[in-house]
Amino acid sequence: MNVSLNWLKEYVDIDIQSDALVNKFNLMSAEVERLEKMVTASNLVVGQVKTCIKHPDSDHLHICTVDIGTSVLPIVCGASNVDTGQKVIVALDGALLPGNLLIKKSKIRGVESNGMICSLDELGIEHKYHQENGIHVLPSSSEIGIDAIKALHFDDEVIELHLTPNRGDLLSMIGVAYDVSAMIETKMHLTEPQITEIKEKNRVNVSTSTAGCMSYYARVIKNVKIQDSSDWLKARLIAAGVRPINNIVDITNYVMLEYGQPLHAFDFNKIATTEIIVRDALPKETFVTLDGKSRILNEDDIVITNGKKVIALAGVMGGLDTEISEATVNVLLESATFNPIRIRKTSKRLDLRSESSIRFERCLDPNRTIKALNRACMLLESIASGSTLSGVAFFDNNDLSAKAIPFSSAQITKVTGYNYQGNEIESVFQRLHFEYNRDGDQFVVFAPTRRPDIATYQDIIEEVVRIHGFQFIPVTMTKLPSNGFLTPKQQLRRMIRNTLVFLGLDETLTYSLVSEVAAIEFDKKAKSVVRLLHPMAEDRRCLRHSLVPSLLDVSAYNTARKADRIALFEIGKGYTQTEETEFVAGIISGTFQESLWQGKKEVVDFFLVKGLLQALFDRIGVGNVKYQIPKNPFPKLHPNINACIMKDEVSIGWVGKLHPAEQTKRGLSDTYIFSLAFEKLFSCSSRNFVMQSISKYPAVTRDIAIVVDKTVSAEMITSLIRKNGKKILNEVKIFDLYQGENIRPDQKSIALNLTFQDYTKTLETDEIDEITKRIVSCLEKELKATLRI
Amino acid sequence: MEIKQQLQEVLQEINTAFQTIDTINELNDLKAKYLGKKGCFSQWMTEMKNLSNEEKPKFGQAVNAAKDEVIKHFEDFYSQIEKRIIAEKLAKETIDVSLPGRVFPVGAKHLVSQVIEEVEDLFIGLGYTVKEGPEIEQDLYNFEMLNLPKSHPARDMQDSFYITEELLLRTHTSPVQIRTLLENSGNKPIKIICPGKVYRRDDDDQTHSHQFMQIEALVVDHEATLADLKGTLLILARKMFGEERQIRLRPSYFPFTEPSVEVDISCYKCHGKGCSMCKGSGWIEILGGGMVNNAILEATGYDPKQYQGFAFGVGVERLAILRYGIDDIRAFYINDLRFNQQFK
Repeated sequence: MNVSLNWLKEYVDIDIQSDALVNKFNLMSAEVERLEKMVTASNLVVGQVKTCIKHPDSDHLHICTVDIGTSVLPIVCGASNVDTGQKVIVALDGALLPGNLLIKKSKIRGVESNGMICSLDELGIEHKYHQENGIHVLPSSSEIGIDAIKALHFDDEVIELHLTPNRGDLLSMIGVAYDVSAMIETKMHLTEPQITEIKEKNRVNVSTSTAGCMSYYARVIKNVKIQDSSDWLKARLIAAGVRPINNIVDITNYVMLEYGQPLHAFDFNKIATTEIIVRDALPKETFVTLDGKSRILNEDDIVITNGKKVIALAGVMGGLDTEISEATVNVLLESATFNPIRIRKTSKRLDLRSESSIRFERCLDPNRTIKALNRACMLLESIASGSTLSGVAFFDNNDLSAKAIPFSSAQITKVTGYNYQGNEIESVFQRLHFEYNRDGDQFVVFAPTRRPDIATYQDIIEEVVRIHGFQFIPVTMTKLPSNGFLTPKQQLRRMIRNTLVFLGLDETLTYSLVSEVAAIEFDKKAKSVVRLLHPMAEDRRCLRHSLVPSLLDVSAYNTARKADRIALFEIGKGYTQTEETEFVAGIISGTFQESLWQGKKEVVDFFLVKGLLQALFDRIGVGNVKYQIPKNPFPKLHPNINACIMKDEVSIGWVGKLHPAEQTKRGLSDTYIFSLAFEKLFSCSSRNFVMQSISKYPAVTRDIAIVVDKTVSAEMITSLIRKNGKKILNEVKIFDLYQGENIRPDQKSIALNLTFQDYTKTLETDEIDEITKRIVSCLEKELKATLRI
Repeated sequence: MEIKQQLQEVLQEINTAFQTIDTINELNDLKAKYLGKKGCFSQWMTEMKNLSNEEKPKFGQAVNAAKDEVIKHFEDFYSQIEKRIIAEKLAKETIDVSLPGRVFPVGAKHLVSQVIEEVEDLFIGLGYTVKEGPEIEQDLYNFEMLNLPKSHPARDMQDSFYITEELLLRTHTSPVQIRTLLENSGNKPIKIICPGKVYRRDDDDQTHSHQFMQIEALVVDHEATLADLKGTLLILARKMFGEERQIRLRPSYFPFTEPSVEVDISCYKCHGKGCSMCKGSGWIEILGGGMVNNAILEATGYDPKQYQGFAFGVGVERLAILRYGIDDIRAFYINDLRFNQQFK
């Protein structure tokens, strides 16, 4: 809502500076978006063109002399519409126009020019408000030599209020005036509109068959003269951000801004009947709105009819057939109230949000319906020389009484924590012009119909607090005793995040919405995908099942920007129709670690990633993790470098190398990916430590080297060794893997270091030798291993 | 010749020889020359058998004493050489300590996570627990039970992504509050914060993001007041923006709170004088909140005569943008490593 301060001052005294008023609005009423002078240009006067001849050296310039009262100035003017006798806006020497345009005495093609004749655009009035080309011509009655901004009624300031949906009352100048009066405790000046009805009777009949129309008032005004509005009216509308059209339309808009009540003017002759019937629209009924578009309606819409056909879409837009035109002589003026929800539905569905529909949606003051109508008639009489017929056609089912809300001052104190005195509360209601009764601590307040947002004692509390002042609310802390803590799951999430960060991975945060393709790219079990009903872009259309595609995007983005080390992870959800699953996923490529001058570097491979994961599992207490070849691997992974991560026969995630073809497609180097299911990590993470004593007896080690078939995995060897190593086998380490000379191509040599230790005695060589022998013979038997000497 | 005299000569010889010795091996050779089988002491001991029985002990003692003297000398030589060798070795091992150390990469926690953890920790300290909930939410929990029936004009404030008529991506974490209120079936006080991802139908630009992170707080008990909300927000403002910050409340509107407030902090750049950061006002808007609307208590089984509460919600990116001078909200989601790694 743009509030003209000149206009506002008609209804309420303002005795403070504009910036102080802005501060009051911010702290007590609605947030101010901006405070601006309507026109910032300076040094402008009204002048009259005395002479005007063509410039000898130009095909478009004119040489004029302009009388500005105190002197006659030579001015060269480039506008084609300049002419002798016109009253015009003259920017004098030293005038500063918007866009930092400084007007100076100068010579234009050899001719002296001591100022500039201005268009409205040059004053900073947007073109849409006047649509004039060339200089602006003032009425011939304008006084020469006076401030042109004043003459145009542009000597105004505008406060733009950012309104919340509850404050529909501030969509009217009178509503704003009420709040200002409460804010700065000054007097209001409201007058009842006075009209002069002629003898001829208004014979129109209004009725409704729908509860969607609560009230409808109609008056008929005859013999209106359609023309441009006068400058003061135009200035008011421009200040409010409404485009002036003609006096009839301008008056309805003016009254809407003043009272908050939208009005609609019909060409009465074109209605062709004297019947106004409001009803629900029929299914699939069509109607041509005044913008010339044919609309298909449904039962949710409310229509105004002349008893035969639709003449307006209630609250949203009039019809083309009954539109006011230059030929209009008689006007039927409508002032009505409709169900706000239905107006909202219709305007949203048809994408016809307007100043009117916004007001209907936010509840009108039912006591202003007739007042606004009368006010418009009053203006039509004075500005458009119309004659108001006697009588109002109407029905009104609105409750016009103020709503009684009982409460006690103790109640307000209990909620706010400030101990309000009775007189402080009374003062607030006086300032707001609310009626109230007080009996000691007990109050009944009568919320006026202009404030439909006030319905409960909580609303009353808000009024008291904002008008009395938020600054008086003390600063205290809640007395509720409670323990604050993270749940084990939240703790684990943080531990994972911290561990991965300290292992050298950067955390990312990416969008949950991705393209349809990316959504299911790394989900083997995807049956369907969650789509938005109305996506904003194709690449933000579906909810992702996996974090991996997003991480790949981040990886590609950074690779394209020459990052030589990519190590990323994200903790976030994947979404399917039935569930949200949290993942810990990561991507690693390039040189993981490099110390340049020492020539040491660690390039990422599968085992680096596996090592990082092992460190993570150790930290969060997930033991005995196994890596298995998956039965059906992701097609986008390297078919022979990927594994399913298993814990106790349950898959907790996967790790693998991106398929070389995918790498090329995405412009990536060798890229390794992992994805772990957070819930599964949580269910197998255990950090319940019990101390184990350290053996007093020395450990003994034995190395063995065996040759096995390539297909025999390290896991098969070590688990067989462990099984046969009994309790005293403490640790099995692989310290060498060899393929090549002296080993058959389908075989490999693997060397292991076994550590034995007993908690009860020093181990004897014989005992170790015997166990080692048994282990070796098992390896020979079960894995066809041969001992290498 | 007397042994003593000979000893002096021997010692002289050894000392002279030692001057030219650099290694342990050379010293070993020298030692062998004098103390070995062919050395002078062995010779003297063989000569001893020619002496009379009376002379033997005296001679023997003199030779042994001389030998001890020589051994002592050699011990001293050894330690001198060792010291010299160690000194040489140490000298060779001199390094340039200013060269860079081996790289142990440490990752950067995402700034949004950092801010969330910081706020969580603050509120855990104040006795709050952290509650989470689904991001695909029912219209019922995201809007209707929050006093936002369908067709309510305030729904425009949070244009949303619907999946079906009744399911949408949550536009705030308030539905977690609703779920928590329902879980506690109307008879337990509540003190929670709810961090999480939220989604709104905004075009992504410098100041808007269709996805962002929010933290909401809810306290419901018998006497939680607007003053308590103010006190709690002051603690948050000071934790995030410095101990000298002030806050002010302004009227606002949210369907789920009544009264509703916008909360400003005094500008930390100009300290309230007015600057470009605070657009000249001296205050910066950081969050919204208010007293829980009775309609919500009633809808979730809490008796408004017995219970009251406050709630507020803050955008995590907004906090980070203000605190770290970030000029584009999209930076949080692009994950340019040159950005992310600034906040280690």
